[in-house]
Amino acid sequence: MNFWSGLGVAAVAVLLLAWIVPTYGGRGFAVGMHPRTLATLGAWVMLVCASVLSLLSAIVLIRQRQPFFRLPEPGHLWHQTWPFLFVLGFIVLVDRFPLTWVAPFLIGSLLVILGERRWYVVVLTAVIPAAGLYGLTAHLMRIGVV
Amino acid sequence: MIGFDAILMSFAAALHYESIAIILGGVLLGYIVGVIPGLNRAVAIAIAIPLTFYMSAYAAIAFLIGLSKGTAAGSAVSAILLNTPGEPSSAATCLDGYPMARSGRPRKALKVGLLASVIGDLLSTLLLIAVVIPFASVALKFGPYELAAILIFALVFIAGMAGGSFLKGLAAGGMGVILGTVGLDPETGAARLTFGYAELMEGVPILPLVIGTLALAEMFVQLDEYRRNKGASVIKLSKDKEDDLSYQEFKGTLPTIFKSTGIGAFVGALPGLGPSVGAFMAYGLAKRSAKDPDSFGKGNPNGIAAAEASDNAVIPASYIPLFGLGIPGSVSAALLVGAFMIHGIQVGPLMLRDHPEMLFTLFSGMIVASMLMLAVGWYGLRIFAKVTSVPPHIVIPVVIFLCLAGIQVQGYGTFGLVTVFAFALFGYFLKKFDYSFVTFLVAFIVTPMLEMNLRQSVILSGGDIAILLDRPIALAFVVFTVLMALHLGWSSYRQWLRKRLKAPSS
Repeated sequence: MNFWSGLGVAAVAVLLLAWIVPTYGGRGFAVGMHPRTLATLGAWVMLVCASVLSLLSAIVLIRQRQPFFRLPEPGHLWHQTWPFLFVLGFIVLVDRFPLTWVAPFLIGSLLVILGERRWYVVVLTAVIPAAGLYGLTAHLMRIGVV
Repeated sequence: MIGFDAILMSFAAALHYESIAIILGGVLLGYIVGVIPGLNRAVAIAIAIPLTFYMSAYAAIAFLIGLSKGTAAGSAVSAILLNTPGEPSSAATCLDGYPMARSGRPRKALKVGLLASVIGDLLSTLLLIAVVIPFASVALKFGPYELAAILIFALVFIAGMAGGSFLKGLAAGGMGVILGTVGLDPETGAARLTFGYAELMEGVPILPLVIGTLALAEMFVQLDEYRRNKGASVIKLSKDKEDDLSYQEFKGTLPTIFKSTGIGAFVGALPGLGPSVGAFMAYGLAKRSAKDPDSFGKGNPNGIAAAEASDNAVIPASYIPLFGLGIPGSVSAALLVGAFMIHGIQVGPLMLRDHPEMLFTLFSGMIVASMLMLAVGWYGLRIFAKVTSVPPHIVIPVVIFLCLAGIQVQGYGTFGLVTVFAFALFGYFLKKFDYSFVTFLVAFIVTPMLEMNLRQSVILSGGDIAILLDRPIALAFVVFTVLMALHLGWSSYRQWLRKRLKAPSS
């Protein structure tokens, strides 16, 4: 885990140092510090620390004769991924429809997925927060239905 | 300097019924959040920040401080009745709290935990008030050299002390620094890392960042771990008179409470260590110094008292570096900085000069919060015991909804939703791979201050590093930083070497 996370962070740091910070880090004449200095410093700290972490982890893996690649089981991978996809799907929906209307489906469907089968628990848990949001935004804050 | 009349006025303001109602709301909400396993202080503050937008600055901060204190006290309830700590720092409370509750004394265990929490919190708050004023008065005399040196020292210290690997801590700090530089450069006006988005001109918006990395990411982690916690059962409170805490029993725990409060206050004042370290240190010391150490782990009330007093003492003490130097030493302190920023107040020693009434009203509010904690915990014992039964599969969807609602209510729109999701992925990565979140958040928060002080130092010195010789405090902190980095690096290397030698060789 440390080997791959270190490698990932080091790769991001290289990307930052080689392209992102020089291109988007800001230009112009500065009397004191250049606008890019601190971001560059941060990226170097990331690169050095992550590289050392990867290297040390690689030594341990080699010494313990453990494999560098250990693919997770598809079931486990799916269990870790679906919540992100679920929330992302609802973010796409919220971008098109007000959250107040989408919320009961978001909460209700997640409850059912997580194993809740009592209909009154599903309905009440799904409706009460959405109704609270409606009351807050439409009546108390008067910013309309969000 | 603020006069005695102003201090009295600040107390009067904190004791106003509106103020009490707001603090009570914060404490109550904090208690409920603390009681529910899986929700923690950081999640609660992150979600509550949008609610405080429409409050005055004092009301907002008092509400958040009340909430923070409430979660610390409330987390003991689930630790004792469910053997599942509401906060990681209450894990030490489980060691004796759950066995005591299982042996038919749940009410006694809860009351010991509550009283220890309140005493630890109150004494630590008084210490904060006594220490922070002279601390901030000295800090006001510091120039950019000293402040830059202290900030760098604090970041390295937090990276080393926040738990886990020092290398990962520093890398997380680097990430925080990079994100902290996003926005318009204050000197040249150049847009930095904004990628053309006008929304990033003033920097990465703090609300999507904290809601994404703290609350939403935590819910993803909870969903991941949901299967493991399915079978937990709650201990019910009885009406048995034997289960009531007598004065003699309470008196027996007082020495442990005072010692543990001292430990908690010391740990809290050091940035980065956090309440878990304080609680376990106090528990360990109470066990070692007890006449009957074997009874620890089997339901000894002193075990609960030690863990809870220290856990609750850490929080007010962690505000010493915050109000004294402007350095947030914990996640909740960093979130408070965000709330202060939203209300246009720069937290730190300048508060003593620019908003002394606000500072004293906050301190008074903190004392009021401690008192309310006792009242809420004492009279709400049975209700909170019932709240522990709320299953996580109901909590998780509601919290995910609250995360999205917080973004929508503030009008961040599509940009906010995408940002919150991106930060949730980022926060999940930090949690799963054990990169220090506190270092990341503190680095993100202090980067603008660090950059301003570094820039002023470079301009004033003309790039001549020898100027440090004329600034002994700055020089001392530079030397401390180098020594600390070397020490932490060396300890990490030795730890790694020990592990390597223990591992089976090829």
